[in-house]
Amino acid sequence: MSSKGTFDQISPSEFFYRNRDLAGFSNPTRSLYTAVREFVENALDACDQQGILPDVHLSIKAVDPEKPDPKPYILSVKDNGPGIESKHVPLAFGTVLYGSKFGLKQARGMFGLGATMAILYGQITTNKPVFVKSSTDGKIQDEFELILDIQKNKPIVLKHETQDTSKTGLSISICLEGDYAKAGAKIRDYVYQTSLITPYATVTFDDPKGEKFRYTKIVRSMPPAPTIISPHPYGVDVETIKRMIGDSKFSIPTVDNNTIEKVKTELGLRKKDLNYTEIMERAKRRWSSLSRNIRVVIAVMSFLKMDFAKLSKIRIDDIDVSRKKLTYWDFGESKSFTIDMDPETDYYKQLTNTVQGETLVSFLTKRFQRVGRTTAEKFADFAGFKPEKRIGTMTNEELVKLSDSLQKFPTFLSPDPSCLAPLGAEPLEKGMKAFFNPDFISVIQRGASAYSGFPFVVEMGIAYGGDIPPGGTKVYRFANRIPLLYDEGSDVVLKVVEEIDWSRYKVKGDPPLVIVSHICSTRIPYKTVGKENVADRPEIERELRLALQFLSRKLASYMSKRGLAEMEKKRANLYLKYLPLVAQFCTELAGKQKEPDYKKMLKEAVSIEAET
Amino acid sequence: MKPKPKTPPKKSTEERRKSLAQLLKNKGTEIYEDLEKGKFPSFSVPSRSVSNIVYDTKLRQYVLGSSVSLRSTRNMSQLRSFTQLMWLAFFANRLVNEKKSSTLRDIYYSSQAFAVDFEDQPESDNIIVDLEAVLTRPREDLHIFPEERSSVFGDLTIEYTVPGYEGKRSNLSDHPDGYLIGPSLSSCELVDTSAELVIAIEKGGLFTRFVEEKVDKKFKAIIVDTAGQAPRSTRYLLKRLHDEMGLPVVILTDGDVYGEHIAMVIKSGSANAAHLRELTVPDAKWLGVWASDIEKYKLPTIPMTESDIKRITDLQKDPRYQEGNWKKQLEIFLKLKRKAELEAFSKYGLTNITDKYLPEKLELAKSL
Repeated sequence: MSSKGTFDQISPSEFFYRNRDLAGFSNPTRSLYTAVREFVENALDACDQQGILPDVHLSIKAVDPEKPDPKPYILSVKDNGPGIESKHVPLAFGTVLYGSKFGLKQARGMFGLGATMAILYGQITTNKPVFVKSSTDGKIQDEFELILDIQKNKPIVLKHETQDTSKTGLSISICLEGDYAKAGAKIRDYVYQTSLITPYATVTFDDPKGEKFRYTKIVRSMPPAPTIISPHPYGVDVETIKRMIGDSKFSIPTVDNNTIEKVKTELGLRKKDLNYTEIMERAKRRWSSLSRNIRVVIAVMSFLKMDFAKLSKIRIDDIDVSRKKLTYWDFGESKSFTIDMDPETDYYKQLTNTVQGETLVSFLTKRFQRVGRTTAEKFADFAGFKPEKRIGTMTNEELVKLSDSLQKFPTFLSPDPSCLAPLGAEPLEKGMKAFFNPDFISVIQRGASAYSGFPFVVEMGIAYGGDIPPGGTKVYRFANRIPLLYDEGSDVVLKVVEEIDWSRYKVKGDPPLVIVSHICSTRIPYKTVGKENVADRPEIERELRLALQFLSRKLASYMSKRGLAEMEKKRANLYLKYLPLVAQFCTELAGKQKEPDYKKMLKEAVSIEAET
Repeated sequence: MKPKPKTPPKKSTEERRKSLAQLLKNKGTEIYEDLEKGKFPSFSVPSRSVSNIVYDTKLRQYVLGSSVSLRSTRNMSQLRSFTQLMWLAFFANRLVNEKKSSTLRDIYYSSQAFAVDFEDQPESDNIIVDLEAVLTRPREDLHIFPEERSSVFGDLTIEYTVPGYEGKRSNLSDHPDGYLIGPSLSSCELVDTSAELVIAIEKGGLFTRFVEEKVDKKFKAIIVDTAGQAPRSTRYLLKRLHDEMGLPVVILTDGDVYGEHIAMVIKSGSANAAHLRELTVPDAKWLGVWASDIEKYKLPTIPMTESDIKRITDLQKDPRYQEGNWKKQLEIFLKLKRKAELEAFSKYGLTNITDKYLPEKLELAKSL
């Protein structure tokens, strides 16, 4: 097999540059909207994490207002968050896949990828740098002008200045090609709905036409912040398990000069050169203070019986714990050697531990959430593994079996919801009240539940009448405090809403009705890459349905009270209209002059219960 | 040929008007007193649902059964239609007192002057029938007339009661096209006639022929054009001619199932008017054209349609068609599956029907 083509590794920046459609930057309309989302969500996430009540200011300005769309726009987002340390700024905004969000807890965005993508897109379309202002201490503000070196995935700092400031926070400004004429409605919707689900934030938006949208804080308390937790057994696959095993054991040590220097440092031998026996004695004395990878090197040395000088001339190729063989390559002799390891020594045990990894029980209890020793042992029995089985020795087939069994084992506790950050019933209710000024409102936060090992919580509110225009039910969908604006058709929330028989809840015709649905999860099961609709997992569907039924029952009891009042009013009006007519007509028919005194009957008529 | 008609007490138009006025006043007083007492007034409206329409063999017509629905002002959902009914009684009272006539359509528009709203004319038409049922008086008595008109011709002297014509007399043989049976004829007093017979005929064309051929003189007859299914005003006039003037009524129709039923409705009313009692002439006789005449007179025929046949089988379930000639003719029609129009006699000459057929059938009718 021969090929004249060259195989180049491409940088993550290059990859995203070539595949920008995937990240939502396919055209000027969508790109402008996506960029707004990414920056606003990053700003809110940053404030959330530090428990700061967010003030987020968004502004979009046309570079040349006279030009027709699509055209370059300056997009700026400013927040009052913790800011980013000066030294991290270039990397955070000038490198793709550099982020602080890799962990299992609920956040709006996953890895902070989107913001860099927006910067990259801006640079591609307008060839303008990005401006970043950041202050972490509220005294000094660092101001950067950056561009990305796409091929090297590295930032180039064009300018760096510092200035005095009085506030912490981050401000970012990019120039990008966009189409506000088409994206405007979507962006305004996004800002409106984001404020609805973030009632503890002030969000403002100055649009390119000079319109100003202001949504000020409705509540002044933050919902409790989520914590980062280990994964749940139901939520992992073979690939994840492999990665977790990799984290839990040491690979075969590389004995390069770097490693040897580290060993020397820990043994306090930087200045001294000792022979093999002296080294081993010193290691024994200091054993308890040595770090794990240094212990591994010492163990290897104990079988090789080499000093540092000799050690630097070999490469360890294999440590076969079960056959007790150690294979190495001697650079000096250009030859491979295999030696036996004595299984009775402490050094052998040390190697066994590190190469073969933890026992299954220890792996399960330490690396997963809510798995205790008893559960782990029961699981081992269920899966057909010995509890003390070293996970490092598992074959591919065994790993698949382990992964399958983790999915099937019925008695794991349900996932820990402490990694979730629902808004809370009270702020949701206050937000909805402020937005819709309804005649009736009810909200509910369901208990935590889980699908496929991912915990989730459903919050829902229902509002009727007031400022809500009639015309049928309007559903606002949110996931992890992000509004889901489009692709409504196939969404699970809408499916549940559509299945409700409103007539059972005394709601008729095209009611002035608003439903706000918020799903919080460490992983929202989106149907598409666009993150606009949630797939119908039975567990989620069930929670949504229970929430909606609860709220609908509340609505029904309100409606029947309202119905009685309305009926009374209607009765009063009807009698007020018709009784005088009847009196007038019968007076003439009876040939009388004076009308009968029917006034007292008007009162009585209202109190009669409806007979039909 | 002068059968002794069973004459119920003869009511002149004036008497009828007075009794109706009293009836309306009584209703009004009832309701007035209810209101005075703080009682929610109501009307008892005989139910006009199919299940409440029964055939009265004694009266020989369809009548309403005993089922009655209460329309009460206590019930919010009935308040509006009660007021509509009330208004109609009030308005009809004015019409009757002022001797003015109106049409169904008029009523619909008139209501709007009194803040009484009808959604459409069918709604107001329906309330009119309700009032007819409550008072058991046809709407013509209330001076409310339909648009449909038919005609009458013959030696009959009448005296108008309509405003401007009070006391004025007319003879209905003065105009060869006949006289429209409209509000003024419906409310006139019948004064005198030399006629000994009333011939009701289904078609305007034949009516004109009968006038031309002087059937009125030859047979001493008053000729009435029913213009198809006889309107109420026509049926009411036929009844008055029979009851007040003692004239026997005979009917000539096309030789088909619809013709037979036109005769039956004149004789014993329709289910639609089951709530009224004064629109029938139980002694009226159907002269033809019978199904059996088609063969007897060798009349040219046309085949029946599906709906003709369906109509026959429907009528065969009607209690009035269960015996005698009515039953027999339906059976023959069904057997022939053909029908003949009155004009079919023209095959034998334009005057064949008046010269030959009519005398023969009149002779035969004596024995019916």
